Amino acid sequence: MRKRNSGKDKLITVALHIALAAGLFFAAFPIYWMLSSSFKSNTEIFALPPTILPKAFTLEAYAAILGDPVKLRFFFNSYFVAGAVTVLTVLIALLAAYGFSRFNFRGKGSLNTLIISTQTIPPITLLIPFFGLVVSYGIFDTYVALILTYLVFTLPYAILLMTGYLNTLPRDLDEAVAVDGGTSWTALWRVIVPISLPGIVATSVYTFLLCWNEFLFALTLTKSTSMRTVPIGIQLLMGQHAFEWNQMMAMSVLGSLPLLLIYLVAQRFFLAGMTAGSVK
Amino acid sequence: MAEVILENICKTYGNNFNAIDHLNLSVEDGEFLILVGPSGCGKSTALRMIAGLEDITSGSLRIGGIDVVDMPPKDRDIAMVFQSYALYPHMTVFENIGFSMRLAGKPKAERKKRVDEIAKTLQLTSLLDSKPANLSGGQRQRVAMGRAMVREPAAFLMDEPLSNLDAKLRVQMRAEITSLQKQLGVTTIYVTHDQTEAMTMGDRVAVLKGGVLQQVDTPKRLYESPVNAFVAGFIGSPSMNLFEATLTGDDLISGTFAVRLQDEAFIRRPGLRSYAGRKVVFGIRPEHLYDSSLESGRKYQTIPAKVTSIEELGSEHIVHLNIDAVRVDSGDPDAVEDFGRASNAVAKFEPVSTVRSGSEIQLGLDDVKLHFFDPETHLAI
Ligand SMILES: Nc1ncnc2c1ncn2[C@@H]1O[C@H](COP(=O)(O)OP(=O)(O)O)[C@@H](O)[C@H]1O
Ligand SMILES: [Mg+2]
Repeated sequence: MRKRNSGKDKLITVALHIALAAGLFFAAFPIYWMLSSSFKSNTEIFALPPTILPKAFTLEAYAAILGDPVKLRFFFNSYFVAGAVTVLTVLIALLAAYGFSRFNFRGKGSLNTLIISTQTIPPITLLIPFFGLVVSYGIFDTYVALILTYLVFTLPYAILLMTGYLNTLPRDLDEAVAVDGGTSWTALWRVIVPISLPGIVATSVYTFLLCWNEFLFALTLTKSTSMRTVPIGIQLLMGQHAFEWNQMMAMSVLGSLPLLLIYLVAQRFFLAGMTAGSVK
Repeated sequence: MAEVILENICKTYGNNFNAIDHLNLSVEDGEFLILVGPSGCGKSTALRMIAGLEDITSGSLRIGGIDVVDMPPKDRDIAMVFQSYALYPHMTVFENIGFSMRLAGKPKAERKKRVDEIAKTLQLTSLLDSKPANLSGGQRQRVAMGRAMVREPAAFLMDEPLSNLDAKLRVQMRAEITSLQKQLGVTTIYVTHDQTEAMTMGDRVAVLKGGVLQQVDTPKRLYESPVNAFVAGFIGSPSMNLFEATLTGDDLISGTFAVRLQDEAFIRRPGLRSYAGRKVVFGIRPEHLYDSSLESGRKYQTIPAKVTSIEELGSEHIVHLNIDAVRVDSGDPDAVEDFGRASNAVAKFEPVSTVRSGSEIQLGLDDVKLHFFDPETHLAI
């Protein structure tokens, strides 16, 4: 290896570290601010100059949220919608991806292109048409409206992701099942799905996050407070009378926790080597 | 147990590529048939058609007297060992071997009994709870065998099952598979591109080239009477030397040397006389060329040759030579082209031979062992 002895190299290293530190601060400070504010009282939040650490540490914001059934309902709604969409997306994407990956059929190419092309449409342009559709189907302000709408956005990418993953699995495995007396259906559920966990986890995480964070469609396609999801719930705290900053921040923290947990749990599935030992 | 009969089987892939051309083959009950040929000649295609993994474009296929052309693999009563093994990575060795029984709905106790039996035969008993990832190459190979054996199928199909093993293990597994096949007595079709496997393992060998069957025969007969130059060159290692020469009277003449043929050569091949005055391809195996300075080589007629290089293998010397003749290509795409400008022939000498690289020698040639082929069609004369 070349020895780094020139002053110029050292300067570059120092500059790089400063830039990285600035970047880290930029990314991490809002998170810190959210955490810190969630443990303050609302009056302290409006104090000038602002306090970096909570002067009087309090859990009142959390108590206000966790003790209020209306606000807990936001969480339930978010979990339910995101959960349902995730399960449905993974199921449908698996079946579609298995078809794309393992079978040849008429129109396969154009269907694939169609799926990719849906990704180029900015979702916001679909807001009004979807609103119209949802109302005319009589599902406005229901879970079904949100679930169906989210599926439209999650499925194309999930199918592409899963197809890519299944393409990496050796076809010999499917054929071994065929020779062992199984059908394609058997091969899919007994062999392909169990060894596709990394792909399934990746797809699930992507889908869940997309639904969990979605704001615009959730705002437009629901109306009653009992149908609102967490992102809308946070916004609702910017009430007519007061800005409940500490509660907004506490709700944001509570809303981010599942994502954090998902990442931690999912990480171990991303480790490679699920098919190790299968071939060669 | 059953016979497998292929009649006029053709395979045309989607891109109009004819991978198999009118393949006729009948494998007897309990027979170990080797399907051999250079890579890309259609061996896997043929095997996969028998397994039902590939559609048959035309022709008929019967396994145990039943027409299986339109049957899916699971109804064909065959078991297959894949080149890649294709073990189920998330299952233990026990589950891998027992999977087909599980799909067939066999009760747990019966499954356990049968898998244990097979594991014992294959010396896998201590590994039954391991996952494929924790096995060595040879062990994985055995699990793949076990998965095929558990079904007690009408026929075993194996696609280059040893190609992923190192040379030493390959020799060992070669013997194991052969004795296992004898012991089980199940009709077996074994695909390989390795002529050594072909010669040592099977009852009969089918040689395939470019999707066309060349010859089906016992290893001994393939070696002794190849039907054409391709089979002659493909079977045997190192390959048979093939040269062009002119037949003049009783002499084969090439460049500056002549080989005198005995009457017997013409009696055994009535067609040979008609090549008088014309070009003919003659072939001689490396083991039928001799160092004329040794006792073993003294009795043969000789031709002049120049030694270009020697590989001393201990039990024998592989001697690369140059003789005054035009070498003929047998048409094996896999043949290692080690014939530079300097060398055009290979001989096997006894290790006591003292010939040196670069020296001019008299090369003994056992004319009784010559093979003759038509220069145009390459068919044996
Ligand atoms: N699915 C396919 N589509 C088109 N051509 C194929 C396909 N599979 C194999 N081939 C061609 O058929 C020929 C025979 O292939 P294969 O049976 O795999 O040969 P081998 O097993 O003898 O090496 C090869 O030239 C290969 O390129
Ligand atoms: Mg092959």
